[in-house]
Amino acid sequence: MTNLDLTKPTAELAAQGTPLLEVDDLRVEFRTRSGVVKAVNGVSYSLGAGETLAILGESGSGKSVSAQAIMGILETPPAVISGGGIWFQGRNVLEMSAEDQRRIRGPGISMIFQDALSSLNPVYSVGFQIGEMFRAHRGMSRKAARAKAVELMDRVRIPAAARRVDDYPHQFSGGMRQRVMIAMAIALDPRILIADEPTTALDVTVQAQVMDLLKDLQQETGMGLILITHDLGVVNEVADDVAVMYAGEIVERGTVDDVFSRPSHPYTDGLMSSVPQVEAKGGRLRPIVGQPPNLADIPSGCPFHPRCSHRRLGAEAAPGRECSTDVPPLRLVVPGREAACHYSEEVLGVRAP
Amino acid sequence: MSEPREHGATAASSLSTSSPSTPGTPAPAGPARAGARGAMGESLLEVRGLQKHFPLTQGIVFKRTIGHVRAVDGVDLTLRRGETVGLVGESGCGKSTVSKLIVALERPTAGSILYKGKDVARMGGRALKAYRREVQIIFQDPYASLNPRMTVGDIVAEGWAVHDDVAPRKGRLKRTQELLDRVGLNPDYVNRYPHQFSGGQRQRIGIARALALQPEVIVCDEPVSALDVSVQAQVVNLLEDLQDEFGLSYLFIAHDLSVVRHISDRVAVMYLGSIVEEGTDEQVYASPSHPYTQALLSSVPLHEPHLRGQKDRILLQGDVPSPADPPSGCRFRTRCWKAQDVCAQEAPALVDRGQGHPSACHFAEARMVVPVDVE
Repeated sequence: MTNLDLTKPTAELAAQGTPLLEVDDLRVEFRTRSGVVKAVNGVSYSLGAGETLAILGESGSGKSVSAQAIMGILETPPAVISGGGIWFQGRNVLEMSAEDQRRIRGPGISMIFQDALSSLNPVYSVGFQIGEMFRAHRGMSRKAARAKAVELMDRVRIPAAARRVDDYPHQFSGGMRQRVMIAMAIALDPRILIADEPTTALDVTVQAQVMDLLKDLQQETGMGLILITHDLGVVNEVADDVAVMYAGEIVERGTVDDVFSRPSHPYTDGLMSSVPQVEAKGGRLRPIVGQPPNLADIPSGCPFHPRCSHRRLGAEAAPGRECSTDVPPLRLVVPGREAACHYSEEVLGVRAP
Repeated sequence: MSEPREHGATAASSLSTSSPSTPGTPAPAGPARAGARGAMGESLLEVRGLQKHFPLTQGIVFKRTIGHVRAVDGVDLTLRRGETVGLVGESGCGKSTVSKLIVALERPTAGSILYKGKDVARMGGRALKAYRREVQIIFQDPYASLNPRMTVGDIVAEGWAVHDDVAPRKGRLKRTQELLDRVGLNPDYVNRYPHQFSGGQRQRIGIARALALQPEVIVCDEPVSALDVSVQAQVVNLLEDLQDEFGLSYLFIAHDLSVVRHISDRVAVMYLGSIVEEGTDEQVYASPSHPYTQALLSSVPLHEPHLRGQKDRILLQGDVPSPADPPSGCRFRTRCWKAQDVCAQEAPALVDRGQGHPSACHFAEARMVVPVDVE
């Protein structure tokens, strides 16, 4: 039997100094016939109650895979968690029995996905699907679960919830479907909500509504929020901290204000200058050259070096800091900021101490 | 992979010199853009009152029409030589239907598309063939828009099978390679298949295919939406370079307001099948006067931490009404905070209401919603 206490108030846990979630040196590989794809290569972060951590990265950077590992929904095989640990309220999830892991999903950690239409079951009404959480985890009757579903639909601001509870997913618009999925995710008052590209498929006016809803729900419940996205604007408007991922690694981490105003990793810097802004026409974009790496064949040394404008190769590199051979560790650059680059101080424009 | 900026320049010059100037088909001129930057050239494409209604049918054997989806319902647009017109709107507003109508993949229900003064709907035979060569399209999905069984070389050269006067039969392989080089792909890849390329590279193939026919106008239907941020910027820059080099005119259709502002000279905002506001990028973004434009702009998340929380956010209520049953009068009135009785009775025309640019709102009033970056 599990000794996981999901009833203890989050504030109490925070007082004990235990973060809600700690991911330590997580590694995930996909062993396929054509080789080993290293999707996550040593990712560490922690999340406390009420905090919002954004994981920013492009497609193939390993941001979703790391979240799926936390949720325990990776398909194994082909995926293999080849190292590291995931601690939820001080217990390693990876060492738990399948039954204990299942108990955490829902009241402990829950997740919403990008594509609401393919994440919802088309042959059950939305009320049934939301109520399923209560029936499976709390043993409620169908009737009570349905009443709970209506309540939740109200909470995620679906108009006329009582009338729409028996409707099917295809009868809802994209934004409303996303709300249904959010309702399912928050049904059991999770400690942590992982939102994997929650607004990518939505129009910008709807995106704003959904992000507002998530923020309000977080304020009400004090849950920790992990926001996985590629959208710099969403990160800036919603998150406190940001971890930038590239080729399965975190390459920069800090508060959103710091990282976005003065990036210290060339990749973050490159991302910032590739994106046009709505507030000014701006000059020519400065894209990052080349293509993101193939995760089955990650470049040696710093994975970003083939595309980097700050790289130093061969004789021009400082000893032990040759970009194509020496792997840069994620290190503290200035207080509160970590970056995995040999020459972060240069990127930041700060003199090395 | 090859770096797009580096080896483009040399190939480009050889490309323009080798352009055959066939009579009747004007070859794209390099310096056209120089003049175009200052004062815009003559209008190439004029869209007037364009409508496209798709029938809604019921029944399996005996289909009855029970209504129409008014996908495009009265669109006016002008595209001048050398300029980029951005068309923005949310999904379902009809912007992609406009692009299909313009490249003559669909026939309009009403209204006209004038290309160099001639009505496209009345073109036939040779004239339509020439039109289709001169107005090319780049699609959104670089995975679905390339035939997986054709090599890249065949894809780029396919247009020449129909328009065989554009490239002499003998030098086609060389021209294909020049085109690939120009769009930043390794010319040795002519024999590869689309699946061997990444999304950004595939979009470059799509661009090379459009360029192969030496078009005057390229309709870009969400050309960068499917791409990652860092690759998106590469493609945007490539499109800008090609425009300068070949004097192309773009109709740039997208839902990303930032990208549209970046690339466009003029911007038209579309809602539920019609254009609600039009003007230069400065007019539309800095002093939007239609409530929908204001709401749309205020929803765009900003990237600068110091601008966070500085804009006033307008949250729209409800969803976009169905285009099969649009509201009477002004289409936006069901979600508009300014709506009054007149809005339900009378559809507002897209005219200048004292703001300096046209706006389709009875109560148009400029309002700054996006903070100005003072840096």
